[in-house]
This record gives sequence, C-alpha cells and structure tokens, in this order.
Amino acid sequence: MKILIVDDSSTMRRIIINTLARIGYTDVVEGEHGKAGLEKLGQGGVEMIITDWNMPEMDGLEFVQAVRAQNAAIPILMVTTNAAKEDIVQALQAGVNNYVVKPFTPDTLKEKIESLLG
Amino acid sequence: MDPSEIETVTIKGKGKAKAAPVKPDDPQGHVISELDAVTAVTERETNKVMDQLDLISGLVATQQALITGVMRHPGAQDPSVQDSINQVMAAGKDIQDKVYEAMDLMQFQDITRQKLERIVHHLRQIHDYIVDLLGTGLKSEGERASIGRTIASTGTTPDEKRAHADSVVEEFKRSQKD
Repeated sequence: MKILIVDDSSTMRRIIINTLARIGYTDVVEGEHGKAGLEKLGQGGVEMIITDWNMPEMDGLEFVQAVRAQNAAIPILMVTTNAAKEDIVQALQAGVNNYVVKPFTPDTLKEKIESLLG
Repeated sequence: MDPSEIETVTIKGKGKAKAAPVKPDDPQGHVISELDAVTAVTERETNKVMDQLDLISGLVATQQALITGVMRHPGAQDPSVQDSINQVMAAGKDIQDKVYEAMDLMQFQDITRQKLERIVHHLRQIHDYIVDLLGTGLKSEGERASIGRTIASTGTTPDEKRAHADSVVEEFKRSQKD
C-alpha cells in the first residue's frame, strides 16, 4: 500500500510517516504542496492520499479537486488545522473522504486510515 | 542553532517603546521576514529534535535485539534471570512509547507556524490599508516578504469556531445519502 503525504511542513510529514510506520505502512511518497503531490500521483502506484490544506503553490483544497478530476476512487484523508464546520464541509464537497484536525493522535490516524481502506 | 538568528529576532522585538518611523526603503517586509525567520528556525530545530528522537528509538531497538539474544543464552534460562530480563525489555518498550509520544507532540511546530502566518497575513492587510490610505506607494511585490501561503480564508481556527470533525463528516455523509 503506497501512501502519498502532501504537507508543506517537513516536521508534519515526518510525524505522519513515523505514525504510519508504527501502524504498518512503510511505503510512502511525499510532496510539499499540491503541485508536487500531483506530480507524485502521476508517477503511479499511489493507493491513498493524506493531505494538508494550507500550503503554498497549490493548497490542499485545489489539490483534492485536481485529483478528483482524474481519479474519483482514491481515498483522500485531509489532516489540517482548519477546524471550522464550514471548512470541513467545503473539504468534503471537494472530495475528501475523511478529515482529521491537528494535532492528532496515532490512534486517530490509524482509525481514519483503516476506515477509509475498510 | 545559531544564537544570532534568535538574537536578531529578540532584539528587534524588544526596546520598541517608540516605533521607528517607516522609511520608504524599510517597508513591512522587515517584520514579516523576521516572523518568517522564526518559523524557519523552529522548523529546522524541531527536525533536529526529531533526529535525536529517531536516534534514541534506534538505540532502544538495538538494545531490545541484544537483550533478546541474551535471553536465548543457556546461562540466562534461570527463571529469576528471565524475569529480570523481561523487566528490562518492558522498560525499553516504555522508553520507545515515550519517544513516539514526544515525536507526536512536535506537531506544535506546524500549528504555531500557521498561527504566525495568520498574524503575518493580518499585518499585511493592515499595512496595505494604511499604504492605500496615505498613498505612499510602498506596496510593490518586491517589498513583500517571502511567506506565500494561501491563508486569506483559511489557517488556524479560533477555539470558539472549532467543530467536532467526526460529527461534521457523519452529518455530511448522511446528507449525501438522503
């Protein structure tokens, strides 16, 4: 299972990679913004996406919309500091399958990933 | 960390009983780039802490492997020795768990960075408003600092506006089914 992590914070990418490794997912590719994420996705093999919202170049919402324009099925989990109800609804409307607010616990991330892959 | 990086920010932050007049060649980018530097430094230093935690984690894993080897040794088959070794193994696992917890806590860096960026965004809006008002013509792209994230309508959410994500997701999915 190859997972694409898109986040402009290298610290956050590292934390997510660490968490994924602890729950058994070690095949990971990274992008530091939406455009880089699309490039990685284009290289093939990605089966799930974890993306931040606030990023330079192309933000998470634009990224999700671009992904959905070409792939309706791939599970997308948004992990962000945006926690207002209207933000969550906007992300869901753009095509994310589930939503995690930072800071998250490893158990929360595990539960969301497993429910998406379920 | 290079102390001069923090010192620069600290000194500029202090001693501002009277704000210096804004000169045409000293626009808003000054303060914004200082905040930019703070976020860059904290991200880099957080990654250094993460490096150390990774190192500790690796050392604990090595220790666990060595202890497992010792447990198989004929001289370690005595129940009391095995019991002691098991206690050492359990302590090692506790250390590993605490290392992971510490790594997870490093999320604070990204969260505080985004809060700072939101402040920068508001400072920039105030600056632009004043420039427009006074018509001083300082608002060129070249005078802007490097923070380029899109935070006009996003960013960190004030506590009073925070929603329970799971409830909103469930509600949305139910509405899609109806």
